[in-house]
Amino acid sequence: MLLEVDGLVKRYRTKDRQVVEAVKGIRFSLAAGTILAFLGPNGAGKTTTIKMIAGLVRPDDGDVAVEGHSLSAASGQALRRLGAVLEGSRNLYWRLTPLENFEYWGGIRGLSRKMARERGRELMREFGLEDKIGSTVQQLSRGMQQQVAICAALIHSPALLLLDEPTLGLDLDASDRIQEYVQRLAHERGMGILLTTHQMEVAQTLADRISIIQSGVLTLEGLKEDVLARFTGSSYVFELAEAPSAGARQLADQLGAAWTGEQEFRVVLDRPTDVYDIMRALEPCPVVRVMRETADLATVFRAHTRQSVPVQSGREAMA
Amino acid sequence: MLHALRAEWRREWVQLRRYPTELLSELAVIVLVFYGLFLGGSYMAGGSILGGRLSDIIVGYTLWTLSMMSVGTMGWTISNEAQNGTLEQVFLSPYGATFILLLRNVAGVVIGLLFTILTLFSVMAITGHYLFVSLWDIIPGLLMIASATGLGYLVASVTILMKRSQQLLNLLQFILLFLIMLPTASLGGPWRWLAIVAPFSPVVALLRSMMTHGAALFGTGNWLLWSVVNAVLWLLIGLLVFGLAQKKARRRGNLSHY
Ligand SMILES: Nc1ncnc2c1ncn2[C@@H]1O[C@H](COP(=O)(O)OP(=O)(O)O)[C@@H](O)[C@H]1O
Ligand SMILES: [Mg+2]
Repeated sequence: MLLEVDGLVKRYRTKDRQVVEAVKGIRFSLAAGTILAFLGPNGAGKTTTIKMIAGLVRPDDGDVAVEGHSLSAASGQALRRLGAVLEGSRNLYWRLTPLENFEYWGGIRGLSRKMARERGRELMREFGLEDKIGSTVQQLSRGMQQQVAICAALIHSPALLLLDEPTLGLDLDASDRIQEYVQRLAHERGMGILLTTHQMEVAQTLADRISIIQSGVLTLEGLKEDVLARFTGSSYVFELAEAPSAGARQLADQLGAAWTGEQEFRVVLDRPTDVYDIMRALEPCPVVRVMRETADLATVFRAHTRQSVPVQSGREAMA
Repeated sequence: MLHALRAEWRREWVQLRRYPTELLSELAVIVLVFYGLFLGGSYMAGGSILGGRLSDIIVGYTLWTLSMMSVGTMGWTISNEAQNGTLEQVFLSPYGATFILLLRNVAGVVIGLLFTILTLFSVMAITGHYLFVSLWDIIPGLLMIASATGLGYLVASVTILMKRSQQLLNLLQFILLFLIMLPTASLGGPWRWLAIVAPFSPVVALLRSMMTHGAALFGTGNWLLWSVVNAVLWLLIGLLVFGLAQKKARRRGNLSHY
């Protein structure tokens, strides 16, 4: 297995001496040739997970192995096999040109100048940026800078690429190019790619597998098609005119209701006729509307993340 | 590893070339200082150059600037790269940040030394006064820079945890200057231990006896030995503390600016 993440736990101590449990025992693996998207609201622990995999944050428990090399026991071997583009960082020397950046970042990863230059040229050509290789990075557009940062992370031909919010704040054109390129990396070259995003469209077009992370826990994990198929056409919104009785609420809960307010809930149904079971359960509470939601990933994600309690474990979701 | 050293070296060089005003202002300072020393030296000697004395001053000045550079470079690198959003990428190097910072320090010292030598030769050519600088001075010079690098790791440790180090650097310069002024060789009793353990002290005593008393490198009593011990000691302390500080920063999750 290319990447194995085994029970990572991270507790931060904040300045006012409180403990934030950012990641609570995350476990998953990533095969070569696969794009895995981590979806989750802000503060869910996506960046912390990525940084623990890159060895930049030290976990309180658990370990990471890249192609069998443990990050805690053989960090050098693990780091040789991964590249990362981090969020909120420049990742590049702005005063240098892309080519000079490649020479530097390649050099401190053990590449000769010649190899770093050749590889850098090739990567820039693949992005169609070969004419920018000699301008300083600060002169490039935001989108180009991000593409160059991806090239720099790939300079030593790693097997695993970590991308934290790779298309955040980029124009459509750059975002499309990056998405296209990332797919080629995985599907033509067999790289493993772990990316985080809260842009559903990105995950929907890019991912092979999807993990939803909430408050430091993976609450849903599976093939994108399975995740989508599971929800397509079967996610319903119920809006009630008043709060139902405790008994009615309990009955609805048993059928899988996820309350998004006192008088509103979402539910994922196996069969369309199950709607009537719910209606019977709610009787005699007046209903304002019942609506079937079109399930794209955004709906799945929204419906899923609004539930306060994780409804299914990763294993079930994959079935 | 050689590729990494070359990469550091090239990066420094490219930046110097791209921003020549910074390069020129640095050069201007060295030229002015050396020119002043030469003029002052020949004036004091009544037209004839003061020979040995002047070369001692120049060696001393050069060692002091290179050492202060080694004390400050790594800390400065950390805060600068944290601000520019490149620090985490440096920490992704399989060689480890400790080693990359060391390489950067070496690259800086070598470039600084090149400048000094270049300037020295041009000033000598302009004034027509030639100095003799003993090649043996290189050994105490290296020992001094090794101690300075150990202190540099200490400054880097503070920087990586606090994200700034300017006050510490100012204080440290003051203390080091004081230690250099101290007449270490003539101290007795428990003070003698201070002269051996305090950073720079034994190597300054070594240089002093080489310069003012014209002693040969290996004829300076135990000062050479103590200088080696001192350099190794401070380098080890620096490496140890930086290793711990790095671990702590990773545990806090604030390698970059959080
Ligand atoms: N260095 C840190 N120190 C203290 N708390 C942190 C630190 N980094 C992240 N956190 C907290 O941990 C939680 C998860 O953050 P993060 O991993 O950045 O989430 P995401 O990337 O999904 O938005 C948040 O509550 C955040 O405030
Ligand atoms: Mg994040």
